[in-house]
Amino acid sequence: MAEGDESGEFYLRYYVGHKGKFGHEFLEFEFRPDGKLRYANNSNYKNDTMIRKEVFLTPAVLKECRRIVAYSEIMKEDDNNWPEPDRVGRQELEIVMGNEHISFTTSKIGSLMDVQTSKDPEGLRIFYYLVQSGVLFTEDYFTAPGKI
Amino acid sequence: MANVEAEAVDFEPEEDDLMDEDIGDGSPNRAAAPRLKSAITGGGSSSAPKKTKGRGFRDEVTAEAERNARMSARFDSLDSEGGGPGPERSIEGWIVLVTGVHEEAQEDDLQNSFGDYGEIKNLHLNLDRRTGFVKGYALIEFEKFEDAQRAISELDGTQILTQTINVDWAFSKGPFRRRNMRRRSPRGHRSRSPRRRF
Repeated sequence: MAEGDESGEFYLRYYVGHKGKFGHEFLEFEFRPDGKLRYANNSNYKNDTMIRKEVFLTPAVLKECRRIVAYSEIMKEDDNNWPEPDRVGRQELEIVMGNEHISFTTSKIGSLMDVQTSKDPEGLRIFYYLVQSGVLFTEDYFTAPGKI
Repeated sequence: MANVEAEAVDFEPEEDDLMDEDIGDGSPNRAAAPRLKSAITGGGSSSAPKKTKGRGFRDEVTAEAERNARMSARFDSLDSEGGGPGPERSIEGWIVLVTGVHEEAQEDDLQNSFGDYGEIKNLHLNLDRRTGFVKGYALIEFEKFEDAQRAISELDGTQILTQTINVDWAFSKGPFRRRNMRRRSPRGHRSRSPRRRF
């Protein structure tokens, strides 16, 4: 896969959060070029505490992440026509891959209906599914000890 | 419908006239890009400027300050000792990553192959939510280090459903060194022969 660009930089960060009556609640994770994966989940609801964890991934995992990102073709998208972040919430997706660097922002996406009715359903759908798989990977590992 | 962002950096990767730096001149998006780049890549290997795109570059100073605040607190690390390459035990067991998994593979296919090497505590075969097919990778957790190690050495490069899989550790004790990348960290990692390059 040519666009996998296996030798280049790879960095990925995702943030979703909002500021409300429970303070600043958010989830954020970051895959760094040296393999460090950082995960933060701050929910103040019912005095839930902040989870901040980090772990080092092998090159094999980063390579797979890069494959999934390349395959999604998210780097070809643009957030121009995505809903702007608002009071309900904010999402950020930042990726450095090869010589491209994207930093997209949008509002929270409640369901696929939000995607469908947006001005850029195709692009937003790619974002939606890519983010889901990233969240899946990190949450599998960090929030359910023993469940991988 | 007026769209203020429309004039911001907006490129198709295929268009090579955009290699030039003149794109987005006068746009606030452009100026801040190099700083963000260096913050992330730690002044890494390539000196070529990256093509940037997205609204995230707009309020970048504020965004970066907020990000630093969020990420500055102490992170719990699985590994209290720190240090170099080598597999890392997860909380419960030893996790291997399988890639190249056929999109129609079932958990049983993996269970059958990997179960021969020891007790599997967990097996995650994630699906692509869009297509319903297998995403392409699986995480398999072994109880014992030796079992995981043996599965890696014997199943890496073999086939499941006519497709070649790669098997390797998922987690590591420390950062890996990358070619042409000068790390600023003074913490010396002995340069044992690295596991596998790609």
